[in-house]
Amino acid sequence: MNAIMGHMRGTVRRGPDGADVPPALVLAGISKTFGDFAALSDVDFDLRPGEIHALLGENGAGKSTLMNIVAGIYTPDSGRVAIKGQPVAIRGPSDAQQLGVGMVHQHYKLVKPFTALENILLAHPGGSFRAARSRLEALTKDALDRIGFDVDLNRTVETLSISEQQRVEILKVLVAGATIVILDEPTAVLTDDEAVRLFKAIRSLAMEGHSIVLVTHKLSEALNYADRITVMRGGKVVRTVLPTEVTEAELTELIVGSAISERSHRAGKAGKPVLKLRAVERSDSRGGKLRNLTFDVRAGEIYGIAGVGGNGQNALVEVITGLSRVDAGNMWLDAHGDVTNQPSDRMRRSGIACIPSDRHSDAIAGELRIADNYAISGVIEGRYGSVARVDRRGIAADTQDAIRRFEVMGVRGPYQKAGLLSGGNAQKLVIAREFSGKPSLIIAHSPSRGLDVRASAAVHEHLRAARDRGAGVILISEDLDEVLVLADRIGVMNRGTIVAEFEAPADRQMIGRAMVGHG
Amino acid sequence: MAETTISTAAARRSFFGRFNLEVRGHMPMGQQMLVVAAGIMLGLLISAMLLVVSGVKPSGLVNEFVVAIFTSRRNVAAVLSYAAPLTVVGLAAALAFKARFWNIGLEGQVILGAIGATLVANHDFGPPALRLVIMALAAMAAGILWIGLPLFLKIKLQVNEIISTLLMNYIAFNLLLHLLYGPWKDPQSAFPNSKLFDDVERLMPIGWQNLNLALPIAVLLVLMAAWLLGMSRYGFLLNFVHANARMARALGIRIVGLTLLFALASGALAGFGGFIISTGIESRLTQSFFVGYGFSGILIAFLARNNPFAVAFFAILVAVLMVAGQSLQVFYQIPFAMVQLIQAIIVICVAASEFFIHYRLRMVE
Repeated sequence: MNAIMGHMRGTVRRGPDGADVPPALVLAGISKTFGDFAALSDVDFDLRPGEIHALLGENGAGKSTLMNIVAGIYTPDSGRVAIKGQPVAIRGPSDAQQLGVGMVHQHYKLVKPFTALENILLAHPGGSFRAARSRLEALTKDALDRIGFDVDLNRTVETLSISEQQRVEILKVLVAGATIVILDEPTAVLTDDEAVRLFKAIRSLAMEGHSIVLVTHKLSEALNYADRITVMRGGKVVRTVLPTEVTEAELTELIVGSAISERSHRAGKAGKPVLKLRAVERSDSRGGKLRNLTFDVRAGEIYGIAGVGGNGQNALVEVITGLSRVDAGNMWLDAHGDVTNQPSDRMRRSGIACIPSDRHSDAIAGELRIADNYAISGVIEGRYGSVARVDRRGIAADTQDAIRRFEVMGVRGPYQKAGLLSGGNAQKLVIAREFSGKPSLIIAHSPSRGLDVRASAAVHEHLRAARDRGAGVILISEDLDEVLVLADRIGVMNRGTIVAEFEAPADRQMIGRAMVGHG
Repeated sequence: MAETTISTAAARRSFFGRFNLEVRGHMPMGQQMLVVAAGIMLGLLISAMLLVVSGVKPSGLVNEFVVAIFTSRRNVAAVLSYAAPLTVVGLAAALAFKARFWNIGLEGQVILGAIGATLVANHDFGPPALRLVIMALAAMAAGILWIGLPLFLKIKLQVNEIISTLLMNYIAFNLLLHLLYGPWKDPQSAFPNSKLFDDVERLMPIGWQNLNLALPIAVLLVLMAAWLLGMSRYGFLLNFVHANARMARALGIRIVGLTLLFALASGALAGFGGFIISTGIESRLTQSFFVGYGFSGILIAFLARNNPFAVAFFAILVAVLMVAGQSLQVFYQIPFAMVQLIQAIIVICVAASEFFIHYRLRMVE
């Protein structure tokens, strides 16, 4: 541990020939906020020459934000960056490139109708087209041979497979002369075989002296392929460890944490089920797939669904709210019977309310008034005046009332545009609207994502109040702390199904293992 | 070494970095209108310069655009008689655009509307007292027919309506030519026209200059559209479809139903526009009666941001351009295309001015 701390202060270590070799990259005290959300707070990180360093953590832990700062996409609010022992200021991606930093993003930035070589050329203009082309072709071929990549440079990108496109991205970075290579979730789109080949290539890059940062949320990759592992959680570095000195269980604990700061109180007695899903199947499409999904939600309980993002959570929300059809299986609502594959307006009329994960695209019309955004669900159900005339006065009065009760701040009046609200206040507005119809089932998907502590606590309090009123609440969250603090019962979602269920208080290590397990 | 590269990068940036482009949070409505007004003024100024270059004296410009139009009752009446159908077609565009159905086929629907009305007139359907009402209904039905096919393709097969409605214009135009050179050609005329409508098939005059019922009807339609979009439940729901379709879907708003309602209303209004032009201005079907209405409707709705009252205002502005353009044609041999050029310049200036509603340029050190 002391040795690691020493590195963070930028001390040097002895190279093989006895000369002083400074760290390839040192980050010290990096902080970054977006609005009132602290994405990174006081983060230290160091990268040695020739090492593969895994940056591990859940979604939203701040891994990508930290690396985007190194790549010049974001500028930090505070903190220092040093490359090869020299303090530097990275003000943009071109600065990063000149300093030898190259990042392969999760979403590739390639021009599809152009060939692989043309894409590489596009990233490195200079000199005449002809001369640059032949110079780069030689450079690229050389890089290809050295790391054992196999890509036909003269094929257009759209004809290349995903893994070949990824190789083009890596080549782009190498040809630019990057010595620090950052790979952001590189295996997310690869098959297992392709991933193994990728790690082989990465290792040979490291042998050549490149320093690699591997951003990932997969434990096994970090344990099997990295020289060191730095774990991040909630915008902070938890610890830096060697893969040989930790077990998978210990690493899980580091990732999901053990601290619960918010005081929780549990439900009284849960009633009969308000929602039953039985063997629901949905084939893979936008939002992910569901397979053999079965669970109950009872009146007066919060059913937490824990899991790494992208394991079918979006599909689940779409199916329950009636936005997407199921291929097989059934869904029952208390008092409404079988509601499988009913359209969304019917589902809402049956007492389902939804707090979606992406409030700005799914729950708020930013260019319309706060009052309209509040009243829309009531208007759909036929309240507020008649078909011929919407009762604007009634809407304004009710909105004023809701703004006060749900403590939506930063509002000058109900006719202000909803897009001007901050994240937390926009979320309170969504909750005020969704609760206005006295729903019997509430689906909250990452309801406190991007909110500060105070706003999340308020959101949680509203969910508990709904539960205590007798509603069934489904809480879907990638933040295990949130699930543990709120849920009365917890289901773990992994690859489209509930793989385990726990009664609160649940053991977080067991939940963590079910989340990342591949059995 | 690292520091030198950084400083050169900084120096390069400082050259371009004098001005920063920043996103504005929100601009008050009054300011937005000022920005758009400035865009219109700039467009008019550029157009004036073009006209001066093409040989119109600056004094002549003032004469044709201001003095002649606003001091002569006859010219005021001419402007209003053009403005009435332009308003109707502009409203048709606004209804469709508000539902995010990009109806570029207004011209075809105007043509079909006129054909529908003429069909009734040619065959003297119904009692004379109700003849105009039947013609109007036929015109609206024809407009609905012409938007119905692209609408069906859009909803069932996701066929892009910009292309399909545009292409329907050409079909409509060729159908019109076929009728006028063939079965409907007036034997007493050397031109490809249908026969003149009977008196009962023309809109009644309202007793001031040559104005007819088209004007009060257009005013009524503006009020109805304002009610539909601004006060009714449909308009309230449509605002969400327009502003955030994903959210509207998630909340269970029946987007398809609303789109159907407003797109069909758009087609009906455009067809009704064809009825007004043929019965109120031309009194017969000609091969060019629609020129300048269909596409003007699109730009009027764009300039008006789909607000019915603003549609009426911009319809009058375009009508002023058309009337002034006619006298420029006569007295200065300026081609009619110049009027369309001026329209285009104004649209581009207004579109460019929107940039300053969303962004601001700021000097930085």
